[in-house]
Amino acid sequence: MNGQTSHQQPKDGRHDDDAALTEFLASLMDYTPTIPDELVEHYLAKSGFQCPDARLTRLVAVATQKFIADVATDALQQCKARPAVIKDKRDKQQKEKRLILTMEDLSKALREYGVNVKHQEYFADTPSAGLDPASRDE
Amino acid sequence: MSDGGEAEGRRDEHNDSNMRFGADEYSRAIARVAMAQICEGIGFEGFNESALDSLADIAIRYVCELGKTSRLYANLAGRMSCNIFDIVQGLEDMGTPQGFTGASEVHSDCVVSSGAIREIKEYLETADEVPFGQPVPHFPVISEQRMIPSFLQMGETPAFKCVPPWLPAFPDPHTYLQTPVWNERQSDARTDKIELARQHRKAERSLLSLQQRLICNGSSVATTSDEPYNEENGLEVNNNGNLIFENPLDAGKIVMSKISIPPKLSSQAHAEKKVSLLETFAPAIEAMKDGLESGSDGENTIPEKKAPVFLELKGGKKLFGEPLDLRIRNKAVGRAALWFGHNGENDDKKRRVEFILRQSLENQQELPQ
Repeated sequence: MNGQTSHQQPKDGRHDDDAALTEFLASLMDYTPTIPDELVEHYLAKSGFQCPDARLTRLVAVATQKFIADVATDALQQCKARPAVIKDKRDKQQKEKRLILTMEDLSKALREYGVNVKHQEYFADTPSAGLDPASRDE
Repeated sequence: MSDGGEAEGRRDEHNDSNMRFGADEYSRAIARVAMAQICEGIGFEGFNESALDSLADIAIRYVCELGKTSRLYANLAGRMSCNIFDIVQGLEDMGTPQGFTGASEVHSDCVVSSGAIREIKEYLETADEVPFGQPVPHFPVISEQRMIPSFLQMGETPAFKCVPPWLPAFPDPHTYLQTPVWNERQSDARTDKIELARQHRKAERSLLSLQQRLICNGSSVATTSDEPYNEENGLEVNNNGNLIFENPLDAGKIVMSKISIPPKLSSQAHAEKKVSLLETFAPAIEAMKDGLESGSDGENTIPEKKAPVFLELKGGKKLFGEPLDLRIRNKAVGRAALWFGHNGENDDKKRRVEFILRQSLENQQELPQ
């Protein structure tokens, strides 16, 4: 349907599209992403992405930053949603716990994005650690 | 969790001091810092090491995946370089698990109205601009390649006609063949012997000076044996020492020198057994000094009228006990007279003289060899 409408007014639509695209790309260049361009260029070159246009590099950088920001926001929600572990002595003060990015929150947040990150909860130094005393003696 | 973080931190510190970082480490470190900055902007106050590493790894994978997908779409369209449409399609691909608005209108002509771009647009408008903390140089840095010089540059012509001269030159033959290590030089027997004689003289001079010093220090370095004995030994040594010098000139020429000693020396020797070495060898030392000052070759020092016996240096073991006298005697022979067997009183001395003469004959026979 969209194609049919664009057939009826092809030129105007294309002009609008082009204008919008140019505007969008210009706005991209105004914004400096947190991820440096050199890093993005390095990894794009590694994966075979060939483009001399710097705006596209910026686009990729911004897209990545957006993705990471979404993940981090979800992780923050998880962190805040967890009840406070430490009990404050004074009841008047609200629980103030430091917001620390942990693997738990991160893995929960990433699961929605289809990224499966599992982290070891603990590392045992001997194979018999944590077993019953009876079996350990054997 | 905190314990796990501490353990990792310690391990990382230990590794940092020993490890050499690869090319990947630099980019990963940059990614970590960038992630930390993003999360700080979101609201986090602290990170676990492992969590930050995982996040950085995920970001890198996202960039790589986006690049790969864009390249795939570009190649599918028959292009080598990617453009914005490829990237948008890649974004939509990566966003499919989560879903983005406007998914049903994916095949629209207008790219900007696609869901992925719209989301990015919103992000651009709402998010704070937090640029990367430090300037990042362009990497990886490509070091200059040292090119192998071509045939033309080396000034060589290739051995084969089929090889053009602008190609890199072949390696030198010593890299793949066994070639002699030393420099071949002409060996001149005469010059070799002269050189050897010079070195001998040098050694003798230094030894003489040492002995002179020893004399000066104490007269305890007195000779135990009698004068004639020394002189006989001196004769022997004289014979032995000068042989190598004079070999080229006087090969086969053995002259038994029956030199008459100056009466002064003989009387001195007979008068006192315990004679001060300095007095005794004063003329010898003077002669030696003269010899040193002249600095001439061994060939010239020996005057023709006094031609001592030239033998091989075989009796070195005997001489070792009394090097001083012998050396000085050696030098003195050229100028001073040598007294041997003058006394004639002791059979022992006579026997000694005969023994030395016999030895000189034997050495003479070995000369031509």
